[in-house]
Amino acid sequence: MNRLVGRRTALLSGVAAVAAPSVLRAQGEPIKIATLTPLTGAGGSYGPVMAKVAKAVVDEVNAAGGVLGRKIQLVSEDDQTNPDAGVRAARKLIDVDKVSAIVGTWASAVTTAVAPLCWESKTFLCTVSGADSITQLPHQGYLIRTQPNTVLQITRTGDFLVSLGAKKIFTLVPQAPFAQHSIEIMNGVARKAGGSHGGLIYDDKKTTYRTEVDQALRFGPDAILCAGYMPDTVVLLKDLYRAGYKGKIIGQAYAINQKLIQQIGQNEVVEGVYTYAPSVAEGSRALERVKKMSGLSDPDPYTSQVYDHVNMVLMAMAAAKDTTGTAIKDNIRKVSQGGGKAVDNAIDGIKAITAGEKVDYAGASGPCDFDDKGDILDCKFRYEQIKAGKPVLVKIA
Amino acid sequence: MLNYLLFIATIGGIYGLLALGLNLIWGGTGMVNLGLAGFFALGAYASALLTTTGHLPILAGWVAAPIVAGAAGLVVVLCTTRLREDYLAIVTLGFAEVVRLVASNEIWLTHGTDGISGIPGPWRATLGREWFNAAYLPILLVVLVAVFWLVRRIDRSPYGRVLRAIREDAQVAQVAGKAVLRYKAQAFALSAAIAGLAGALYGHFTSYIAPDLFLPLITVYIFLAVASGGVGSPAGALVGAYLLMALLESARFFVEYIPAVSAVQRAALKELLIAVALILVLRLMPRGLVPERIPRAPRA
Amino acid sequence: MSLILQALINGLVSGALLAVPAIGFTAMFAVLRFPNFSVSGIATLGAFAGYVAYGAGLQVVGSLAVAFVIAGAVGLVLDRVAHLPLVKQGALPAAIASIASGLVLENVVRLGFGNDLRGYDRPIARDMHIGDIRFSPQQFETMAVALAIMLAVFAALAFTRIGKAMRASADNPELAALKGIRPQRIAMMASFVGMGLVGMGGMLLGLDSSIDPLTGTRILLSIFAAAVLGGLGSPLGAVLGALLIGIAEEGAVLAVGSAYRAAVGFFAILIVLSLRPRGLLGERAF
Repeated sequence: MNRLVGRRTALLSGVAAVAAPSVLRAQGEPIKIATLTPLTGAGGSYGPVMAKVAKAVVDEVNAAGGVLGRKIQLVSEDDQTNPDAGVRAARKLIDVDKVSAIVGTWASAVTTAVAPLCWESKTFLCTVSGADSITQLPHQGYLIRTQPNTVLQITRTGDFLVSLGAKKIFTLVPQAPFAQHSIEIMNGVARKAGGSHGGLIYDDKKTTYRTEVDQALRFGPDAILCAGYMPDTVVLLKDLYRAGYKGKIIGQAYAINQKLIQQIGQNEVVEGVYTYAPSVAEGSRALERVKKMSGLSDPDPYTSQVYDHVNMVLMAMAAAKDTTGTAIKDNIRKVSQGGGKAVDNAIDGIKAITAGEKVDYAGASGPCDFDDKGDILDCKFRYEQIKAGKPVLVKIA
Repeated sequence: MLNYLLFIATIGGIYGLLALGLNLIWGGTGMVNLGLAGFFALGAYASALLTTTGHLPILAGWVAAPIVAGAAGLVVVLCTTRLREDYLAIVTLGFAEVVRLVASNEIWLTHGTDGISGIPGPWRATLGREWFNAAYLPILLVVLVAVFWLVRRIDRSPYGRVLRAIREDAQVAQVAGKAVLRYKAQAFALSAAIAGLAGALYGHFTSYIAPDLFLPLITVYIFLAVASGGVGSPAGALVGAYLLMALLESARFFVEYIPAVSAVQRAALKELLIAVALILVLRLMPRGLVPERIPRAPRA
Repeated sequence: MSLILQALINGLVSGALLAVPAIGFTAMFAVLRFPNFSVSGIATLGAFAGYVAYGAGLQVVGSLAVAFVIAGAVGLVLDRVAHLPLVKQGALPAAIASIASGLVLENVVRLGFGNDLRGYDRPIARDMHIGDIRFSPQQFETMAVALAIMLAVFAALAFTRIGKAMRASADNPELAALKGIRPQRIAMMASFVGMGLVGMGGMLLGLDSSIDPLTGTRILLSIFAAAVLGGLGSPLGAVLGALLIGIAEEGAVLAVGSAYRAAVGFFAILIVLSLRPRGLLGERAF
């Protein structure tokens, strides 16, 4: 009998929910936000863990009661590392799911393709793409990026190499939006320091880079920047080792990390190689959480950045007491910068905001403060050197 | 939802144009153009550059795009006259790769891999996002219907019969006194021009183009569309294009209901489903959804 | 000068690795008369099968055998189920179906292994130098394996009954059938051996670099180009084509920069095909 009543009550409340005025129902409806990361295609080694961490943040916030009394629903789509597929996925997210924010677009071409859809539909976009042109788009404030742009990254890396005593620097970079620019910037840095520079753009679909390495070594470099992604960097490092190169090597920490070392499986090959990582707040509690959520001891900066995206978006909603993309746009800087209670996750942040406090978020990728164009203002770089198969901290600057 | 459907219908229409272009030479003359993406890209870039750096009106871009792509098609087909026709496939494939490489590397002209953003759309600013989409679809449909009418006329005309004769047996056609080379070159150039027009329509719709848009994948998609729709039938090409679009997009919703898999597995399942569905269509309906009907020649 | 010589050697090494799948591709074309583009997926599958076997403790040769059998078996099934029934409609529908099967395989691998890169845990040694020229002992080892595989294939084609039957049936299927060669068996053999070779090729190319679900897709165009350059259907031509493509791709790095590598390969093909419309060695099956 009891069970029967239970069932009937459930049924009745279901009917009531359907019949209730739409305003009331909206209260209970989940807030939708989305990840649009590369799950297949060339970016496929980065996108999946980004989506995973975003989901973990959402689950955590939901468990703590959600935002504005509503649960958050995360929709994850695949941009296939291809602008056409990215645009189709974004249209589905915007027009069908009606998400108020999209986070985690990775390839610059995808971000540039998706950005107009976002600002035209007043959907907020957080990206990790590095191409300088992205924040120059007329995005009306609907876009922020947590990745430092190419100029900042290469200048810092060049300065670091010069500080290590490098005089002849060679840049090996795959065909990508940042390729030509990277070479020009590094050239400037090297010449300013009284050194010389050479560069080569390679095709990242090749299975061997012996000839490219020969080209680079003819220049007689004492430092080589490998600015590629993990698949091509693996082959490059092996070929540099085989060629007997003994100078300095530096690369992005997202390309040269534990996974790569394990994959190469032989410590001498990577011994002494330097890595640089923008936007990883070493030692922060936020980064520790990202490590736990991703299951990686050394999460790439994109993963840290997506963690920050989701946290900031949710706090901006709480601060605005509204969940639209415009509300996020108008409030994101109120929670990310400008002083107030220091927080490193949305749960604490939302609590403080609800209590009427001003918050200032600093996350897993750094302080997360943005200028008017949506570029990050400051970011610390972490430099490491691999010794006996383990990255050892050189400095954070 | 309506907006999304309008968008999908527009992109589907652009794929439909590409499919009509491919069908014209594949169904018509039996030639294989694996470089469809290259002609698509040429049209898109020609129109985008003329209307952004060139400051010309959009209509000028739409006129120039098929001319540029058609001319390139003519050059390609004339370069390959000495080759056996099977090998046209690889030359066109190479052509598309070269177009993409030039677009990626000649930064002074094409902005390289950054791509060209801010391509104007007709009345885009005044209409706003939703109405722009609603207004663009009819424009596209007008073009689509016009091209459809054109290729169908060709299909049913004596000209089309010559093309078919070439497809079935080029030697016999030659012996029958038909200038096989001229027919083939014309058909190929027209098909390239249609692809170029599709490119221009795409660029002004999404407002952004980049070399990554023109990977061989799009050519593969169009081949799948034409094959499943029915080679040799213009209506089949259109049906195939929309079927493909429906598959690509509905798979998205379908996999959302599969529990307990990670995001990457869901994406893999989605791609898997699309590919399996296409194989099934090819296997179960080998002549396509709308099989070719060869019109009888009028009695002389 | 030494730079050019070095590029030539590098090109020969990568060309030799490419030759193995190219032979498989062209041999299948000779017998089955359609270009089987699922080689992209099969090469990936072979690379992963070999990877699992290698991880389980097998040596390189043993792992190659595993790659051969698994790739061959899957390739055979796909040909039977998805591709060959379409050949009646013409080579192109079958080719298109094979592109779709390639996508299926890529995503099956992705479903099982994810997108992470994987590498064979093989020691990496410094190169040896002779004058200005450097040689990688390992790459030569891999190349030697590739050469051994090729020799075995050509010996089998020349001396075994099934090999002779395959050649006969590729040259003239009707005549071969009249002589009592069962076309069905030959076709199955071609699918199995051809795809097996492609699977081994995928593993060989992965040995010195790394593998992921896109491994085969990256080399698809090079395989196709090598086979066309040599003359579709001619195994010896495929070897020659693969070596030329390897050299052209490395030479391109010197001549026009790595960015235009793919273009150089295609111009080489256009020139060769304009001079020799049937490819370097024509289309004889041997």
